Amino acid sequence: MGYPAGPEDNAAWRRAPCGLLTAGTDGLIGQANDTFCNWLGYRHDELEGVTRFADLLPMGARLFHQTHWQPLLQMQGSIAEVQLDLIHRDGRRIPMLLNAIRRDGPEGYTDEIGAMVATDRKKYERELIDARQRAQTAEAGQRALNDELAREHRRKDEFIATLAHELRNPLAPFANVLEVLRLRPGDAALWDWGYEVLERQLGQLTHLVDDLLEVSRITQGKLVLRREHVELSDILASAVDAAMPPIRTAHQTLTTALPPVPLTVDGDRTRLTQIFCNLLNNASKFTPEGGAIGLTAMVVDGAIVVEISDTGAGIPPEHLERIFDMFSQLHAPLHRATGGLGIGLALVKGLTTLHGGTVTARSAGLGQGSVFQVTLPLVRSAPDSAPATATATRHEALRKSRVVIIDDNVDAAETLVLALDMLGHSAQCAYTGLAGLQLLERAAPDCALVDIGLPDIDGYELVRRVRAAPWGRDIVLIAVTGWGQEADRRAATEAGFNAHFTKPIDFTKLDVAIGELLRR
Amino acid sequence: MTLQRKHNINILGEGPPIVFLHGFGCDQNMWRFVVPAFARNHTVILYDLVGSGNSELAAYDHGKYGTLHGHADDLLDIVRSVATAPVTVVGHSVSSMISLLATNKAPDLFKAQVMVGPSACYIDDADYRGGFSRADIEELLETMESNYLGWSAAVAPQIMGAPDQPALREELTNSFCRTDPEIAKHFARVTFLSDHRADLRFCRLPTLILQCTDDFVAPVEVGQYIHRAIPGSEYVLIDNTGHCPHLSAPDASVAAIRRFVQRG
Repeated sequence: MGYPAGPEDNAAWRRAPCGLLTAGTDGLIGQANDTFCNWLGYRHDELEGVTRFADLLPMGARLFHQTHWQPLLQMQGSIAEVQLDLIHRDGRRIPMLLNAIRRDGPEGYTDEIGAMVATDRKKYERELIDARQRAQTAEAGQRALNDELAREHRRKDEFIATLAHELRNPLAPFANVLEVLRLRPGDAALWDWGYEVLERQLGQLTHLVDDLLEVSRITQGKLVLRREHVELSDILASAVDAAMPPIRTAHQTLTTALPPVPLTVDGDRTRLTQIFCNLLNNASKFTPEGGAIGLTAMVVDGAIVVEISDTGAGIPPEHLERIFDMFSQLHAPLHRATGGLGIGLALVKGLTTLHGGTVTARSAGLGQGSVFQVTLPLVRSAPDSAPATATATRHEALRKSRVVIIDDNVDAAETLVLALDMLGHSAQCAYTGLAGLQLLERAAPDCALVDIGLPDIDGYELVRRVRAAPWGRDIVLIAVTGWGQEADRRAATEAGFNAHFTKPIDFTKLDVAIGELLRR
Repeated sequence: MTLQRKHNINILGEGPPIVFLHGFGCDQNMWRFVVPAFARNHTVILYDLVGSGNSELAAYDHGKYGTLHGHADDLLDIVRSVATAPVTVVGHSVSSMISLLATNKAPDLFKAQVMVGPSACYIDDADYRGGFSRADIEELLETMESNYLGWSAAVAPQIMGAPDQPALREELTNSFCRTDPEIAKHFARVTFLSDHRADLRFCRLPTLILQCTDDFVAPVEVGQYIHRAIPGSEYVLIDNTGHCPHLSAPDASVAAIRRFVQRG
């Protein structure tokens, strides 16, 4: 063999506490000491002269051997502290720490390699690498958190500035009033004026402080809902009542579209009203005089979806996410001295979340109006459940009329019954003209809604018979048809109907019409 | 940042321009046994791929260098700014594919190319034998993770912060293969997962393939595949064990390259 003779008689070489071997530049192992052979489970003759050093490496390490080990040996003549797995005869991988020196001799170059088993060290290094990985991940998380805190801090600073300003606003009128009253103490008209101003400003101040307290109670988890089954229509009606004054003042129109069936929410009546009142107030506040505000409710995928839309200032897309954060009012309200801290939406979000709902906003951009959408879980309650009764009772006191519906479309008839119930009336229905006649005679209602296209006698014929009967002169009769031509209206009037409605029915208009017709 | 700083460009000698590109693992020092032979009658251009050697590590943009095209564009920048005549490009290993991409993009800038130990695709694919599986490459990445050669946190800042003390760098063990571990891993991934077989047939430049008889990284059949795929290419087999004939068989390498260059 062309390899330099190893110090075979040297026990120190053979039994050294580290693996020692020599290899030619082609990688073939010349000599290996006993320690190295034992560690890897080979006999000398299985390694020496027949096995290449690289053959003892797994594929990945063999690649590394080619791309790093060899070039380094060739360029700097030595290599230190390289950690590679070597494969034991039985297939186990043994992590080793390797040093190598390339020596120039008469037979050419020889590589002398020293190896130490580094199982523990490798395990430890693996732990360190993993720990560093975890630390890097944690650090990235920490950085994101710090950024968020910094932003939050900035918003809080801005908020305090706004808060100071808002709290000071009512103070100027206070001072003015006091000064005027001091100058003209005997003027009764001025006293009345001053009283109004102070009351208004005090209201504003109280409102501001209440909002603040409420948001802080929500963020601290101290706000407890007084939950009960409540009707969405009740909630929306109270919210509209509360929100109407500023809408009227600004000559804005409010259009509502609610489903004809009762929708029950498990929630806190006051807080739910607050949610929609806040959104309606906001819509008014950020919409120019004469603008339009819409309130719709529907059921989507088993959840209640209420949308409040406006034709106002709109929201730039980059702010859509943030507007529900506390202290993030985008711009001053358009008109009137309403002021605002930008906590209204934070309050809305907090309250909606407490109810297990969500609130989102969308807008085509600045000046394009915006839509706020509140989604709340729908409770499917039995029709005779307590809240439904409560609703009916409440409306009974206001204005209850008895209504009969005659329609061969059962669904249409029944939903109309529900809708009228919701509107505070008590309704019954029949599905044919003749059955309708009997019901009318028996029930003697205030009002009847009659479909024209009935299977036995049509609506016109039915009305003629009702008007001919002694009990039927005073019933308010309303035709409900799929046709809205002038000719249809005339035919209805001629037959004896008091009014004519085209499907689908606008329930608000129907409600108003019934009220008016009955008053006559 | 100047192009010179970015790539640690070194220019030696005078004559027709010839640029040498190092492969994966080390840096332009790998050409040390070959360069003197050419510097006598050529303008030899050496540089470090961004992310290797003494290149500007800050310029390593993971997006740009997410494919070999990033390095190919760098080669074009350098040739355009440094050379005044069409250049012969000698690329080792992965750099033979970098030079292929560059010469395909702008053939007018080049005179000829030499591919030392090239592979167009390292991973076996159906009938194609690249020699490796994806798992092998993952294992290489892991091996590199345990061997941050000369790059412990303790020395790295010193190296980077002391450009006026070149001696410091040379004292470091394994310094020729030293680089930022994260970059090295990324470059390894880009290199060994690349597949440029489809680019070979567009090559119209006189091309020499320098193949080693016993090369674990780029086996003979891989070199032959490239030879068949590049129209009119020449193929020279060098008797050598290993992937770096320019280090372990510099004389044979120089002779083969010189024969090819002088004839062109």
